[in-house]
Amino acid sequence: MPALALQHVKKVFGHATNEVTVLNDINFEAASGEVSLVIGPSGSGKSTFLTIAGGIQTPTSGSVVVQGQALNALSGKDRDALRLNRIGFVLQAYNLVPYLTVRDQFTLVDRVKPADNLNESALRHLLEQLGIAALIDQYPAELSGGQTQRVAIARALYQNPDIVLADEPTAALDSARVKVVGQLLHDLAKTHNKAIVVVTHDLRLQEFADRTYAIMDGQMTLN
Amino acid sequence: MFLALREIRHEKLRYGLIIGMIVLVSYLVFILSGLAYGLAQQNTQAISSWRVDKIALNKDANDSLSQSVITKQDADKVKLTEHEAYLGQTGVVAKAKGQAKLSAQFLGIDRTQLIYRRLRVTAGHKPTKANQILVDDSFQDNGYRLGDKVTLNAADGQYRIVGFTHNAKLSVAPVIYGSLGTWRTLSHLTADFQASGIVSTQTNFKAKGLSTLSMNKFINKLPGYSAQNTTFSFMIGFLMVIAMVVIAVFLYILTMQKLPNYAVLRAQGIPAKVLVTTTVTQALLLVIAGLVIGAGLTLATVLTVPTGVPMSFNLPLLSAATGGILLTGVVGALIPVKVILNVDPVSVMGG
Repeated sequence: MPALALQHVKKVFGHATNEVTVLNDINFEAASGEVSLVIGPSGSGKSTFLTIAGGIQTPTSGSVVVQGQALNALSGKDRDALRLNRIGFVLQAYNLVPYLTVRDQFTLVDRVKPADNLNESALRHLLEQLGIAALIDQYPAELSGGQTQRVAIARALYQNPDIVLADEPTAALDSARVKVVGQLLHDLAKTHNKAIVVVTHDLRLQEFADRTYAIMDGQMTLN
Repeated sequence: MFLALREIRHEKLRYGLIIGMIVLVSYLVFILSGLAYGLAQQNTQAISSWRVDKIALNKDANDSLSQSVITKQDADKVKLTEHEAYLGQTGVVAKAKGQAKLSAQFLGIDRTQLIYRRLRVTAGHKPTKANQILVDDSFQDNGYRLGDKVTLNAADGQYRIVGFTHNAKLSVAPVIYGSLGTWRTLSHLTADFQASGIVSTQTNFKAKGLSTLSMNKFINKLPGYSAQNTTFSFMIGFLMVIAMVVIAVFLYILTMQKLPNYAVLRAQGIPAKVLVTTTVTQALLLVIAGLVIGAGLTLATVLTVPTGVPMSFNLPLLSAATGGILLTGVVGALIPVKVILNVDPVSVMGG
């Protein structure tokens, strides 16, 4: 059973003459222990794909199944719980709360999800791996773009999700950092049996992927 | 609470300004309430100290003590018990050598009756002779001392201050307690007149041939009392409504500005309940902080204003004002709840 599956997913925005089909008959599977890369240019529907996969948006038609659970059968509250407990998001716009220090970003997760998060030493190791251990008391506004992106990755991984959905996680990183993040995601998939889905136009991540999909004009193909 | 406190700590200026606004609003409400209550008190302090329930006045006096005169003939028709007392009232100007003139209310009372018995003396003693008077302690604040000889209006004779009493004011003027005989003299009345009115502690008291009314009705008919209270009530009411709108609008704007953050949190799966609780908790924290500082400022003001300023506080009134402002904060925070519940996490996702 795949960790995440999208079956015949279609997403249409607007009505009548303004109707735009962003995703058309998307079939996608992400398995635990694998990194799936979805590559496509800007405006190709990558982020829409990711938000539908994570239950933030609902598809116009088709279904999304997370660990055997069809999302359209869940209430909004249950979808929230699923996102909190099973899915870690790394957003393109960085998923950090501006008035929380790096440390408090993790404390917030502990407050709303007291169990199954990374322990203290695992968090320290993760922060060291990402090169942000020294930034623990900084606010997001005090971080560079690359640092913010790495903290956002750590924040998503801290809640120890089964599935990680990452939207352009390396957009602000130099090549060396891209390798670190790519290797980290790859290791997470292999050693912790997580399903990692990365949408990006950064081809440097291809070497860490088990499967690569291409998305263009709402159509997805497996390379 | 965690998010609420962290945000306040991080955005000190923004939240400081909002707390400052709530401080000013609560300070204004407290001070206005204090002045309204203080002024109302100064209209009725003396009456309250007698602890009576009914008053009988001349039928043609339009329920006004100062317009009422009861003849001996009418007074004799009323059988007085230990629960009743005669009361003669007239406005006077008091003057003592070397002291400023003071406008006052002279109240003539009988030394054997309940008003006299219920007088509380803060210095000296109660009058025991016709030429002795007991005065409100605001006389003391104006330089008058025990033993001072006072002339009242242009009447012949001098009256010696033998005692002070606290909070004895009627229609905002300090009260001078003396004898009914002195009242007759000051009112230019003959011995055919007994008093201005008869007060009673009995709720079923009724004086034959006179107009008997409850003290509440009597107080509301005191010159200017109702108009003044209504004015203050409207001022405080409007202030509360305006404060409510202003605070609610501020909290609404504040919440709307936070929607992108809320969208991020919603995308992470943070339950909407946590965000609503955070918003309401934060509003309560801001309002409580504003109220506490506002109360502190009010206290500081009370300690520094001159004693002549009629400011007095009443716990139920203050509690109502505090509760009103607190409620305002909660309502202001609750208005955007629907927006929070419907915040779209997609709005923070890139394209």
